[in-house]
Amino acid sequence: MMLSRISFLSGQAPRTLATSCIRATSTSSANSQVSQTTENPGSSLRPVRQEPGKVRMGFIPEEWFQFFYKKTGVTGPYTFAFTLSTYLVSKEIYVLEHEYYTGLSLMIMWIYGIKKFGPKVAAALDKEVDAYEASWNEGRKEQTNTLGEQISNEEKAQWSMEGQTMLVQAKRENVALQLEANYRERLITAYGEVKKRLDYQVEKQNIERRIAQKNLVDWVVSRVRSSITPDQEKQNINKCISDLALLAKA
Amino acid sequence: MGFGDYPAEYNPKVHGPYDPARYYGAADAPFGQVKLNEIGSWIARRNKTPSAFTGALSRAFWRWQHKYVQPKRAGIAPFLHVVFGSMALFYIMNYGKISHHRNYKYH
Repeated sequence: MMLSRISFLSGQAPRTLATSCIRATSTSSANSQVSQTTENPGSSLRPVRQEPGKVRMGFIPEEWFQFFYKKTGVTGPYTFAFTLSTYLVSKEIYVLEHEYYTGLSLMIMWIYGIKKFGPKVAAALDKEVDAYEASWNEGRKEQTNTLGEQISNEEKAQWSMEGQTMLVQAKRENVALQLEANYRERLITAYGEVKKRLDYQVEKQNIERRIAQKNLVDWVVSRVRSSITPDQEKQNINKCISDLALLAKA
Repeated sequence: MGFGDYPAEYNPKVHGPYDPARYYGAADAPFGQVKLNEIGSWIARRNKTPSAFTGALSRAFWRWQHKYVQPKRAGIAPFLHVVFGSMALFYIMNYGKISHHRNYKYH
């Protein structure tokens, strides 16, 4: 830095430009970016693509202006450029021959062209850059999408498999329910059958008893009837008539 | 190190992919931070072979490439660098002839 400052003071333009040029490019972030990434092993050692370097007036590196700021403030670089050019022109170290005026007119045309068409050209080229990048990324994106879709399908399949196990469980429960219902139905059938038989027995016994009773009564009545003789009948009639007479008298 | 080889200090296992803008040797103090009385020894430590000069120019070229030409949305700056650089170069080359066009005898 000190040497380049001396060369600035001595006013030797080509050397100044050369040293500053080396400085300006050496302050580029390429090396610093790489040195940052060297701490991590593996693929992170790969250099990162940079953002374009900042320039003023279309081409002068920002670093050349920054170089002046510590000592001279923000107007320093412009003051330096102006004073140096007046020195070079007044001493005719820089000769204003015919090519100078050619260059001046060319520069005016260039500035007009760049200001007028630059933004449009930049927009068009940026669009192309984006399209190019998109076309490069397209395959990767498609693959990512496909893989994501496959993953979601797989998850869905696993989910439906879980549903299948639930379904099997439900079916088992259903079968158990059917078995239970069948068991209860048979139980009630057996109960009904047994009850029917018992009722039958009860009814049968009742009927038998009734018949036996009826037969016994019939038998007793017939025996009593057969034991009554005609004398007894006659006596009985007489008795009845006497009773009636007694009743009539009373 | 033969013609077209990588620098001898470059080791892919340590440094990763080759970066043509990077110096792989041991780093000395940057020229901007060298004190005036150390300049002699600093220059004496430099490798002054033709291949080292070529390497330095190549690294400078690739630093410029990485900074101004290779970025995704590079502007018009690199083209203007070439234009103004060649203007300066040809001015210096033709200075002997141009200096005859001086208009004033005394300055």
